[in-house]
Formats: sequence, C-alpha cells, structure tokens
Amino acid sequence: MKKLIIIIVCLTLVYSCQDELDITNPNEVTNESFWRNQADAIKGINSCYSTLHRGGFSRWQPMLYDLRSDVGASFSPDSQLANAFNNFIQPDSNFGPVVDVYFDNYVGIFRANQVIANVPLISMDENLKSRILGEAYFFRGMHYFHLASLWGNVVLELEPSKPGDLPPTSSEAEVWQQVINDLLEAASRLPVPYSDPLDKGRITKGGAKALLAKAYMQNKDYASAKSALDYFFLEEGKNVYALVDDYADNFRVTSEFNQESIIEWSYIENPTEGTDNDVDTANHNYGTSIGQFYAPPGIGWSDGEALRWVTQEFEKEKTISNQRDPRLPATFLYDYTNESGPYATQVYGQSWGQRYGTGNNRVFFRKFLHDHIRNFEGYRGINNYRFIRLADVMLMYAECLNAIGNTGEAYQYVNMVRERAGLADLSLGLSQPEFLTQLKHERLLELTGEGHRFNDLKRWGDLGPGLSNRDPAFNNFVVGKHELLPIPQRDLDINPNMTQNPGW
Amino acid sequence: MKKETTSIVKGVLLLFCLFLFQIGFSQNQLVVSGTIKDADGSPLPGANILVANSNLGTSSDFDGKYSLNNVPSNAILNISYVGFKTQDIAVNGRSIVDVVMELDESALEEVVVIGYQTIRKRDLTGAVSLIDPEMSNKIISNSLAESLQGLTSGVTVRNGGQPGQNAQIEIRGTSSFVNASPLYIIDGMIADANQTINNNDIDSIQILKDASAAAIYGSRAANGVIIITTKSGKKGPLKVSVSIDTGVQHIPKTWDLMNAREYADLQTISYTNSGLTPPPSVSSNFNPNIDTDWQDEILRTGNTMDVNVAASGGGDNNSYYVSGSHFENKGVLIGRSFTRSTLRLNSEFSRGRFTIGENILLSNSNTRQPLGSFDTGNPFFDMVGMLPVIPVRSDEYISELNPGGWGIGTFDAITYSKNQVAVTDILREKINYAKIVGNAFIKVNLFEGIDYKFNTGVEASFDFAKGIRRNGITQFNAAERPSFIVDNRSRFTSFLMEHTIEFNKTFNKHHLNGVVGISDQQTKRDFSLALRSDITELEDQIFTEINSTTGTSTSEGAITDDYRTFGYLGRINYDYDNKYYLTLTGRIDQDSRFSKDNRTGYFPSIAGSWRISNEDFFNVSWINDLKFNASYGELGIVTLGSFDWQGTINNNTRAILGDVPQVGSYQASLVNPDLRWENRQTQNYGMETSLFDSSFRLSLAYYNSLSKDALVTNLPIALYLGNLGGTPPVNAGSIRNSGFELEASYRQNQNDFKWNVGFNLTTIKNRVEKVGNQGEGIDYIQTGLTRSKVGQPLGQWYLLKTDGIFQNQAEIDSYSLNGTPIQPFAQPGDIKFIDVNGDGSITDEDRDFSGSTPWPTLQTGLQVGANYKGFDFSLQFVGIFGHELFNTVRRDLDSYQNTNFRSDINPWTPTNTNTNDPRIGVSTNDQGLVDNARFSSDRWLEDGSYIRLRNVQIGYNFDARFLNKVSMSGLRLYVSGQNLVTITDYSGLDPDIQGNGLLERGVDNGNWPSSRIFSVGLNVEF
Repeated sequence: MKKLIIIIVCLTLVYSCQDELDITNPNEVTNESFWRNQADAIKGINSCYSTLHRGGFSRWQPMLYDLRSDVGASFSPDSQLANAFNNFIQPDSNFGPVVDVYFDNYVGIFRANQVIANVPLISMDENLKSRILGEAYFFRGMHYFHLASLWGNVVLELEPSKPGDLPPTSSEAEVWQQVINDLLEAASRLPVPYSDPLDKGRITKGGAKALLAKAYMQNKDYASAKSALDYFFLEEGKNVYALVDDYADNFRVTSEFNQESIIEWSYIENPTEGTDNDVDTANHNYGTSIGQFYAPPGIGWSDGEALRWVTQEFEKEKTISNQRDPRLPATFLYDYTNESGPYATQVYGQSWGQRYGTGNNRVFFRKFLHDHIRNFEGYRGINNYRFIRLADVMLMYAECLNAIGNTGEAYQYVNMVRERAGLADLSLGLSQPEFLTQLKHERLLELTGEGHRFNDLKRWGDLGPGLSNRDPAFNNFVVGKHELLPIPQRDLDINPNMTQNPGW
Repeated sequence: MKKETTSIVKGVLLLFCLFLFQIGFSQNQLVVSGTIKDADGSPLPGANILVANSNLGTSSDFDGKYSLNNVPSNAILNISYVGFKTQDIAVNGRSIVDVVMELDESALEEVVVIGYQTIRKRDLTGAVSLIDPEMSNKIISNSLAESLQGLTSGVTVRNGGQPGQNAQIEIRGTSSFVNASPLYIIDGMIADANQTINNNDIDSIQILKDASAAAIYGSRAANGVIIITTKSGKKGPLKVSVSIDTGVQHIPKTWDLMNAREYADLQTISYTNSGLTPPPSVSSNFNPNIDTDWQDEILRTGNTMDVNVAASGGGDNNSYYVSGSHFENKGVLIGRSFTRSTLRLNSEFSRGRFTIGENILLSNSNTRQPLGSFDTGNPFFDMVGMLPVIPVRSDEYISELNPGGWGIGTFDAITYSKNQVAVTDILREKINYAKIVGNAFIKVNLFEGIDYKFNTGVEASFDFAKGIRRNGITQFNAAERPSFIVDNRSRFTSFLMEHTIEFNKTFNKHHLNGVVGISDQQTKRDFSLALRSDITELEDQIFTEINSTTGTSTSEGAITDDYRTFGYLGRINYDYDNKYYLTLTGRIDQDSRFSKDNRTGYFPSIAGSWRISNEDFFNVSWINDLKFNASYGELGIVTLGSFDWQGTINNNTRAILGDVPQVGSYQASLVNPDLRWENRQTQNYGMETSLFDSSFRLSLAYYNSLSKDALVTNLPIALYLGNLGGTPPVNAGSIRNSGFELEASYRQNQNDFKWNVGFNLTTIKNRVEKVGNQGEGIDYIQTGLTRSKVGQPLGQWYLLKTDGIFQNQAEIDSYSLNGTPIQPFAQPGDIKFIDVNGDGSITDEDRDFSGSTPWPTLQTGLQVGANYKGFDFSLQFVGIFGHELFNTVRRDLDSYQNTNFRSDINPWTPTNTNTNDPRIGVSTNDQGLVDNARFSSDRWLEDGSYIRLRNVQIGYNFDARFLNKVSMSGLRLYVSGQNLVTITDYSGLDPDIQGNGLLERGVDNGNWPSSRIFSVGLNVEF
C-alpha cells in the first residue's frame, strides 16, 4: 500500500498543471485590453456607423415612416407585414420587422454608450477625443429620436448595458429631452467639415443641428428649432450647403455627398457577404436592401408602395416653362413616370407596358431604387440614404418662422425650393394658417418617399381617420393609440418596470 | 456505386463456391448415439452435436435423441444448446454418449464496463443498462443513438431521416436548458459516437444512468454516459466474418395534396370569396399541361448498403480484430447521400506482467446535400407550398437572374416556396469527414491484485466542406446573388492521458476492488474558410476549385474551442459475502472553460446494494436472485464554449466612410464572468430479480435528479440592452427529473421453438424548479411557442386558445365585452379565440398553457425474438404516448395563402358549416383570415402519440452439417423491414421528430421523417 501511495503522489506531482488551464483566447481582444489608446477610440466610434447598414435600421425603419403615413401603403402578400406597416393592425407586438427597428436603435445606443463611457478615460488627442464623443452623442440622440418618434415611451439606457438592467419606462417627453440634450452636446463638439476624405460620411455639426431642429419641431418648440436652424442661414453653416441643380441628383448613386446633403448614410457593395448581421462576420452586407423591398413586382418584393393620389398633387401646378414638375418622375415609378405613358416608361430595362400592361395603377417609391444604374435590385443596395438635406431644412426653417409669427421671412426659403423645381415663387399675403397649408403641400412634393411624412403628419396633428380618403388604412387609425407602436411584449415580459403604450 | 455493390456480392459468392468444393476426408470408425437432456431430465430437441475438427455433425430430434456415423473412437463431441453451457465430451470408444446439459448462468456472470474498471454485472450497485449490439444492429442507422430507440428504459431517442444525420438521445430526461446529450466513451477514449463510427464493430454497449455509475466521469457525466466497447479477437485460429446488407428506402407517408385542376378550382373560390379577380394561372391562363406533383419531384426511392468484413483471432499472448466496412445511404430526397468507410484495428499483446494494446478506428465519410443559404429552404415545407400549376422548369422562366429557367412563383401564381429541384442544382455541398478515434495502453501488474495502467487516447477529425453556388434563383422575387465556391476546412483534436491503478483484493468473505487515477484531456477545434465569387462553367463542366473563380475573395478562421479538463478520480467497490455492497466514487475536475475562481468541481457519489436472495433466511425456490440498490451522487456538465466567461471585443462592425469599410470595434455581447458547472444531484432506487430458473427477469428503478446551477442561455434578454451575438448565460436554472423504469424479459429455451420477449417502460416527470432572476414576478422562460414555468415541465405549450368556428354574425356580435366585439375583424367561418385575460381583445397576452405537453408521459419498447430450427425471427416495437406536437407544415398549408392545399381541406361556407377548417379567402386586407392562421395558436397542436413497428427481421441459419461441408462456421440469410407500420393520429409525416431545440422539442419544423427500409442481408463466418 505504501508503494501505491508513493506512485500516486509522484504522478500527481508530474501533473501539477494549474497554469496550463489558463488558455488565452486567440480570436478576440478581451474587454480589459481594449479602450486603451486613440486607435481604440476610433474603432469604437466606427462601430456606431455600422448600425446604419443593419437591416432593421436601413430597411424597415424608412418603411415604417412612409407606409404608416398617407403617402404609402403595403399590399404585401405577407399580410402580417402589410397590416403592421400599413393598416395599423399589429396584434403581435413581437412582430419581427417592427421589433428589428426598435432593436437596431438600441444596438446603436449600446455602441454609443460604450464610447461615451470609455473614451473620456483614454489619454489621446483632446480635440479628436471631443469630436469622437460628439459623434457618439449624435448617434445616441439620433437613435432616441427614432425611438421617440415611433414608440414614444421607451426606456433610457445611458450607460453601457448590463445583463440585469431593468430601467423604468420614460415618458415620451423625457425621451425627447434626452434627444435634445444629446444633440446639443453633439453640436457643440462636432466639426463643420472634415478634411480627410476618408472621413466622408462622418456626422458634422450641421447634421447635429438639423436633427436637433427636427426634435424641437416634433415638440412644437419652433423658437428653439429656428435658432438651431439659424446655423444654416445666419451662422457657420451658411456657406457650406447649397441646393443641387438637378433635384434627382439627391437620389442617384452617381451624385452622393453632394452640397445639398446634410446627413447621409453611406452604403457600398460587398459582393461576397452572406448576412445582414454586422457582428457575425466582417464579411457582412455593407449595403441596404430597401430597394429589394420597394421595387415593383418581378424585380423586388413590393412590400411597400406609394398611393396614387400623391401623383395628382404634383400635377396641380406646372413649372414656369409649362412643364410637369420634374420631382414627380424622380419620386415615383408608375405608368406615367414618363409622360408619354406605360410603353414609354422604363422599368428596369423593360417598359412598364411590357411588364404590367396598361391597366396597372400601382405606384412605387423610386428614391431608394437602383433602376438608374442597373436592371435588378437585390439586398446589396448602394444608393446612399440622404436622411436630411438642405431643401428639407429650408422648408423646416420656413415652417418655424411661420410658426413664431414671422411668415414674411419664411417665403424666401420655400421659394428657393420651388425655384429649383422650376416653379414660380409663391404669391405673398398668405395668412399664418394658409402659409402652413401651402407648406404642407411643398413638403409633400419635395420630400415624399424620404421617410419624413409620418413625423410631419404627427407634428401637424393630422394623423387620424380623416386621412382615410387618401389612404383607406387610416380607417383603422385610433387617435391616442396609433401615433405610437406597441412596445415589444418581450421587453414587457422581462422588465416589470416598463409599461405598454396607451391602447395597445 | 451500384457496380461496386455487385462486385462485392460476386466476390462473396465466389468464395462461397470455393468452399463448397472443399470436401473433407472421413475416417469411419464408430456409430455414436445418445440422448440430450437438461438437469431435470427433460429431453432437449434441436441441440447441436458436432465432432470436433471434422465436418461431422447433427442435431437432436424431438425426443432429444441423436445418432452419428463414422465417428473416430478418440473424437471429441461438441454439444451446444442455446441457454445452456456448451460441453466437450470425449467419445473414448463409447457408442452411447448421453449428455446432461447445465443451465448457463453466465448471463448473470456477465461483466460490464463501468469506466476504468470492469465488474460482474451482478455486483452493480448503480443503474446501468446493457444493450445487446445484436439487437441494435438490426436497425439500419446512421449513428449508434438511432439504433438504440426503444431497446432500454430511461433512454429517449428522437430521429431524423437525413442521410448522415445524428439522432437526439437523452438519458433520464432533460436536465439542462442547453445540452442534454450524454457522454460517449469508446474503448476508454472520451469521443463522440456520431455517424462516423461503424456500429458493426461494437461488442457491448452500456448506459450509465445514475450518479453512482457515472460519477467516475464527474464533470462531464451529468447527462449520462454511454460506454462502447469494440470487438476484440478470441483465442483461436483466424476467424473471418462477412456481412452484407442492402436495402431500399422511402418516406412512408406524404401529404395528400391537390393536383393542378383541384388547386385552380379552390384558388378561384378563394379569390372570389375575397372579391378579387382570380390570378390568370388558375383562370384565363390555366395550362392543363402543367400539373406538377412537387412531392414526387423531390422524393425518390433511396437505398442503403452496409458491407462489413472482419478478421479476428489470437494466441496465448495476443489477440487481434481487424475490420473494414462500407456504408451507403442514398437519401429519399434528391441530392442527398451519405457514405462511410471504416477500418478498425484492435489488438492486445502480453508478456509477463506487461500488457499493451490498442483500438483504432479510421473512418472516412462523405455527405452530399444542398449548400445551406438564404435560397436553400426546407424541402418539407417547400414540397407542399409549391403550386402544382408551376412547372419544374420551363423556357418561360429564363431570365438574367434565372438562367436555368426553374419554375418559381410569379406575379400571377404567387408562392414564396422554393423550387427544391432548382435548389439541388444551384446549391451543392460535399462534406468529407476524415476521422481517427482510438486509444493505446500499457498495463503492468505491479503486485498481486494491483495493476497500473497508462491509457492514451485520441479523437481527431479533419472535415472539409466544399460548397458551390451557381448562378440562379430558387424563389419568386429572390434577389440576385453572385455565384461562388467556398471551402471550409476544420480540425478537431482531442487528446486524453490517463494513469490509473486498479486493485482487487479478497479476504475471507470481504471483496474489495477499485480504481484511482488521473485524467487529462485537451480539446481543440479550429476552422478556416475561403470563398471566392464568380464561378466558371462550361457547357459540360462546372469548375469546382477556387482558382477557377474570377471574383472577390473572402476568408475567415478561428480557434473555436481550446480547453483542458484535468481530473482526479477514484472508486471503491466493497462487498461482504455477495450480500452487502457499497460503492464510493468521486472525481475532482478542473476545467479551463471557467474563470480561476470557478475552475474546480467536486463530484462524489455513494451507492449500496443488498442481495436478499443470498441471505440464509431467504428461501423462495422460484426466486433465483433478488437485489435492492440505492444511490446518491453529484455530477456535472460543462455547457459552455471555451471562452464564454470572458467579455471580448467584436471587430466585425464596419463604418462605411469615404466609400471604404473601416474597422469598428466594441463589446457586442454581454457576458457573465461567473460561470460554473451545471450540477446534478441524482438519486436512484432499484430492484432486480430473476425468477423461474432465471427465465424471467425484472428490474424496476425510481430515479430523481435535481439539476442545480443549470445554465440559462436563452434567457430572453431585453431588446433595449442592444446585446448582439448571443445572450449571456447564467447558472440560474434548476430542473428536476423523476420517473419510473421497468424492464422485464422472459426467455423460453426448452423446446425446438424458442422464444423470448423483452419489454421496457419509462416515465419522465420533468419539473422546472428555478429559472433565475427573470425580473420582478416572472417565474418562467418564454421560448417562442413554449413557456418553462417554475412548477411545470420544461417548455410547455403556451399558445392562444381556440374555440371552434363562428357560425354566424350573431355569434361574433355576441362575443363582446361591454358591447365592443372581441374579434372585430372576424367573419362567419373564422376561428374563435378565447380572450383569456378578459381585456376585450385577442393579443399575445391571451396566450396560456394549452394543458398539453411536448413531453411523452410514457415511453415503451417491446422486443420479441423467436427461433425454430434454423429460423430466427425478431420484432422491435416502440411506443411513445401522451404528448402533443406543433405541426408547422400544416399551419402553412392551412393558412391558405400562397400555397397548395390539402386534398381533404373542407373550408367553412354558410352552407358547409360542419367542418373544422375555417373559411377560405385571400388574407391581404382581411385580418380575419390572418387571425385564423395565427402562428402561436393551439389550432396547430396534434396528438403526437404513436406505436411503431421499428423492425422486423426473419433469418435463416444454415445448419452445422451443411456448413462443415463448405468449411464455414456460420451462414445466415435474412430479410428485414424497418419502420413498417406506424399507428398515430398525427397528420404530419412522422411523429418521431427532433423538434426545435430542447425548449421547443415538440415543434415539427419540417422534420425529416424516418425512412421505411426493406433490406436483405447475409452473414458468413469462416
């Protein structure tokens, strides 16, 4: 027995291998080793931009804004999709495409929160540090902007998330206040231009100011919005931006980041990608698939489309040279995109008539599509999304001036937009409400299909069954309920401190 | 391949003929006769009497009498009879040799491998099931687990039918939210017995079910252990055995769907009901020449072939077993197949105190299947969803995106189902698995009763998957994707080193044996992937190598696993006079997959037995053996990846700035650094007895295991955390499994007609004890269609409740709360849902426990065997009862949208009200129809109980006299039928489904059904 024990002891000694159980991860840097230098800070802020090509953000979010307004509809064969995105019917609050939008915004917030929490501790170039923090505040504010617009009463995560976080629901007003705080912070730190061409696409001071103004306007604080927008007309931004000559250049791959662009999400093609999930692999989709979902039948899924009444709005007024408003064919693909009719209208290499005959009344949003460069769509769209451009800001400025009683000042900004389309200047003398009515018309014609309509209607208090003559889906609209989407049940299940939106 | 099969068969027949010509010499001396009786004096008919070293032989007649001519006077008679000990009797010049056969008690003396030790089966204190490989090998299977279904109690097997697919196996229930798979030990090596192992090499299978049996494997044993011992040579001259089995297979059941005309008629009704113009494909443009039966296009008759050749033998100081095998499974779906070739080498050599040996398996397997992608889909959905008015292929469909002209949905025949014929053409994958599993050992007898053993094992797998995506689309409106070739190579290596000392001492009536040792295992897995787009195709050739492509390259690679487990193990078995038994087992393990503070785990167990039948006071003549067992112990299991406890920075995000992707990094996934083993506390109480001369055996067991610290990984993490790349796991759950097991067998060996029957029964009661901190007031985990709530079994159906069909508007109007209709969109003919929470509307808040479970309440197996003269016959039944399945395929069909219809669909109309099928229509802008097809509803639940005739086999053994003439020692021909009959109410293709993970185990997500297989085979021994 003694020998036996000796043998065991010897073998045990041979095998004292505690240290060999420390196996380092050869694949990824651990948290503890990151956020140490300037390069880490840059990579950190870059992750925020990656959210822009996630599926929920780049595809479903613009669709939610346009299809739930009176200019868009969905006749998708996926009736659950059509109901949620168009008909104000969403019995399942966990419905994937809607939840994707909610989630992607929080993904972006988690990313921004990590930068905001960690970058201040890095010793690095202080100017660069401030700029990076400005970008991060912008992203957090921008994501809460969408959450406030679409869901209203959501939880505020302002620190890097921890698994057990159970924050209470914040009111819509509190969420908007956070948006404003973050965007003010961003505007104070961001540069007017970036000098390095490799920074093209980074958010600028103008971007933060423009979105800040939108946030104020949604809260009817037109005075604050006006002073934020002064940046573009009275301050530093005055000589930075200008309208492009050809309206359609705002929606072309060939004229991205033009002088009109204030906030633009950049998309490029990664031909070998296999996923939209930007953390699965570096080889993910760097593009947007909204084109595939908006394109007409035979090309894409046609999950969302425009309503025909909008085309008639464009026909109400001719240009000074007695032509059709050039914004109409730039905005829609339909049987009269070419004035000569279905057989003259080209749809991805074939005429409308060849594809759909002459009796097809459907109208498709064109601004995100790629028909000007290729005969198919696909998931790898490369057409940048111009989120905010100068024409929008001009109309916003006019709206603010009118709202604070300075209608006379407002005309010039509307007229600049009209002139670019070839229309005559507005005749003076409109009352404040008349001017607003005219401005609504101007925004419709200038901005349809760019994802602003739902917030416009909401701000103007126009959402309601009254819109059903334009869009029958509004028959289902319950005032006090459908201004907001339902909070995903999944979160309510987990967090007892959250509450569902009214009516849901 | 067919040619190969034929040539193998030819070869065997040739050998067979050669042996026929070998006629032995005869030496005529004596006529010997006699009677063969058992100990009670009853004659034994059908006993075999052979003259050793000659080709003479006979068998006894009905009275047990035999007679042999020409027996040399010094000959040895070899007398054998099933269930009795074989005897060798010298003739010694006698002409009458009467023989009394002794019952063979060796079944009781059977030894079992319990991990690092073998002990007599009768001395077991823990719960161990033994499976006879003869039974399991009757099943034509891809993997061992599949062949075990129904053969023993406490083991749940769920099958899939895809070639090369592994079955799901669970021992005594599911105690984990993550992983319920048992640990496999192959000849002492901890290795996976998956589809790359050849079942024909298996000599014995033992399943360790309780803590006492499994604790020696400590931190990895919580889900039970399956110990596989492969064959070894027996002392004697070279023995060669050849077996060939070849069969045809098909899917026993398909959906009864409409043909093109019937579909067009009903689709027309559907559109008309909704006030819409029917699409041209079913009206103005209906083409009577197109009537595609998509099931027919995709399904085929597959076949299987299994060929084995083994040679074995040994001398005083050595033994060897060498085998080669080839298995083929051509699947019942086009484009799918699996083949496996193996070579095994087992040998052992001894000299003096030293013994060395090795067991090695080399295996090479190939799977062919469609390459997984966005465009692949699931054929079991697509073959029913695809419309009969769409042709498989036609020039009309040719376009830039669809150069092959594959039939897909169109603007006027909308379906989003994928053309699965196109899928097999456009998406191709071939996976090769080259694998070695084996061990080598040296054993030294140190002192009397004390042996030292050094065992080293390896499992290494080199996998290579090559995928080709050709140009084309498989689905209506699908997006353009570039063609590409992808190579994915991965390596898996696992090295084991173990030093053990085994001791065995007997003094007086005290028996003591046991083992102590050290075990160290290192496991590593890595992969590298290369892909390049734009393949090159000529008219008659598709170039398959990356160098032939012309597009963009991409690559990936990682070490996905790298971990080490180090343990101290020990066991002591003590018994006094074969009456009182005590077993103490323990293991201390350290594992690199945890942080330093959580790295060490302790896994003790204790077990005792009392053999009451050996007590002096026990005097019941018809009870041969009666023993009671009890055990308690703790086991562990790691349910984590190698680095899960470390938070890491994800480098995959990309900012698109200046038209260039720029690296973005951040922590994408939340982590929990405080991860540990899952711990199981297991109790077992058992009784074993054998009665009536050991012809009847019965064992009963009750078990109760509590899993503590169960890892909860699919905690439904809040969306607002923005967490990506996986939910952080927490050791927060607890699950109890308890149940009752019964095994009974009866064997009748006395007459010419011998038969035996075995029956087993298992109940599993599963109860969630804890789900961790899910938030205030929440004591459940919601997983899609199920909820795991404290006090209830895991993953119970949690769905909206339906209550028939609204027959008229009055019923809809009266179904209201305070005058507001609860289902405002409903029309007569729509499904009524119960407003469970009483808030006046139907939302997900109205989901509730459906009162049914995806868990079988009773699992049974029945085996019947019989022999008459040379014939043998066997039956295996499986019966699974008391659970409900969620039929997702039927849900798609009965939603009526963009799909073909069931032939027997009977939609409600105002004049056809006596039906369960709601009204038909197009659901766009009709929420009533959308609601009817709501996914999370009990409308799709169906009884999943079934009884299945798993296997029938009839064989004929050629008798010894004939075989002696041809110098064979055995020849058996048989025919076999697998999955011939299934009795079930389930409307899907197969109630035996694998489900959607552990928590949605009853969801039939287009599960691949088990095939019905008819096969013939032959076993030859020389």
